[in-house]
Amino acid sequence: MRGPHYREVVESSPKVGFLEVHSENYFGRGGVPHAYLERIRRDYPLSFHGVGLSLGSTDPLDRDHLRRLGQLIDAYQPDFVSEHLSWGSFGGRYLNDLLPLPYTEEVVNHLVGRIHQVQDILERPIMVENVSCYLEFEHSHLSEWEFVASVAESADCDLLLDINNIYVNAHNHGFSAGDFLHRVPGSRVREIHLAGHTVKHYEQGTIIIDTHDHRVCPQVWALYREAIAMYGPKPTLIEWDSDLPELDVLVDEANIAQSVMQEADHARVA
Amino acid sequence: MPGLREVQERFSANILDADAVGIAADVKAGAFEPRLRLQVYRNNVFTGLTDALRAVYPVVEKLVGEGFFLYASNEFIKRNPSTSGDLHAFGSGFGPFLATFEPAKKLSYLPDVAQLEWNYHEVYHEADADAMDVDALQLVTPDQYEQLQFRLNPACRLMQSIFPVIEIWRVNQEGYCGDQTVDLDAGAVNVLVLRQGDEIELHPLDAGDYAMLAMFARGDQLGDCLGAAQRINAAFDLTGFLSRFVGNRILVDFTAR
Repeated sequence: MRGPHYREVVESSPKVGFLEVHSENYFGRGGVPHAYLERIRRDYPLSFHGVGLSLGSTDPLDRDHLRRLGQLIDAYQPDFVSEHLSWGSFGGRYLNDLLPLPYTEEVVNHLVGRIHQVQDILERPIMVENVSCYLEFEHSHLSEWEFVASVAESADCDLLLDINNIYVNAHNHGFSAGDFLHRVPGSRVREIHLAGHTVKHYEQGTIIIDTHDHRVCPQVWALYREAIAMYGPKPTLIEWDSDLPELDVLVDEANIAQSVMQEADHARVA
Repeated sequence: MPGLREVQERFSANILDADAVGIAADVKAGAFEPRLRLQVYRNNVFTGLTDALRAVYPVVEKLVGEGFFLYASNEFIKRNPSTSGDLHAFGSGFGPFLATFEPAKKLSYLPDVAQLEWNYHEVYHEADADAMDVDALQLVTPDQYEQLQFRLNPACRLMQSIFPVIEIWRVNQEGYCGDQTVDLDAGAVNVLVLRQGDEIELHPLDAGDYAMLAMFARGDQLGDCLGAAQRINAAFDLTGFLSRFVGNRILVDFTAR
């Protein structure tokens, strides 16, 4: 949920299962964001999705960031708290982006330690999310799904699986998105993200950028159907972060996800 | 095989310091050369940070135009990188940066306009406050008056400018249709930026009121504040001051000794 939709969400109470916010948008001590979030909390379960913790960085964890996140969790008691399998800072300088990690044992171990540290400080489990990537490192010797599965298993934490990110990476790095879905541990998937993206054309071909500014594309919906058939129904979020549409469009996308889950449910019963 | 810390050092140097060599050798090429792949990240990083500045400084952007704003923000990001994972904390130094940024030197009022917009941004996210307990204030005895300390509403900021920044801000708001001419020599202004509920207001203050509030904000005692206000304005009316600034919830608490 984004600021421009606050008023309408409060006034129209759309029928959706939960709402997710970027935790950092509520790091302020009060004001308009908290006034709305308090009202919204009364009607919906909340998910706090972090974009700024820099989980994969080799800098020390930012204690102040964690303190503020902890206060937010205490105040709102969200159902979910999540962060990304990425990094965003070095030497105290923040790039405020979800930067890629090499897929190696060193990095798996580093992330496992950091996830445990964060969970100890917050005194609650967090979910971790796979990110979109536009490059791969020469020395990565694990596949992305091996990397993601290995972090989740070793840290014993749940996954927020972003199916658009899988699609984007499959295109950008030439692997099968279906294989990825089959090889991550389905029992650890606790939430799913869906989003729209942008295809950028170059002389050499195309790179897909995870822009969160369109409807979910048909191929990603197809992967979502596959995922739900495999994992069963999962809380699903439509992410839309720039060029925000009318709230109706978001609710419509959420309804499509809901109907995919119902169809899968009927198919299972039949 | 480079360790993770080494990778992150070279990657961030590539993006922020445009060190084009370091990390590229560690990146798989494929159909796209590493330089191009890194360019996607540089673009994402700079776009994200520029958008954050744009959200805080719409009047500055309107005054200088989109192209110049982009140029200035790119230079600012390189010289003053973000130091927080919270994007809302980024950009406090943009006003001071503009003051020293050679291409913007002619627009001498720009740093103050930026400061006003940063204050506006801060009060948007600041804590809320209840009104002062006036009954408790009335119980304070005259021998305690001198040492009284007042606390300002956390969602307010004070600033001074030699330019008419409130007027500049007002005529550059989206949807403003009136005359956009501002007389830059209209005189200095003391500004109070205040959020009341959802609404953020900009109030001009006279010199006596400004001195009182600025000194309260520093933690000074009433006796000293009043002395300063009376040196500015011999007829300074303390009762009127208190009733106005307690009434409009700018003074929200006090400590008596």
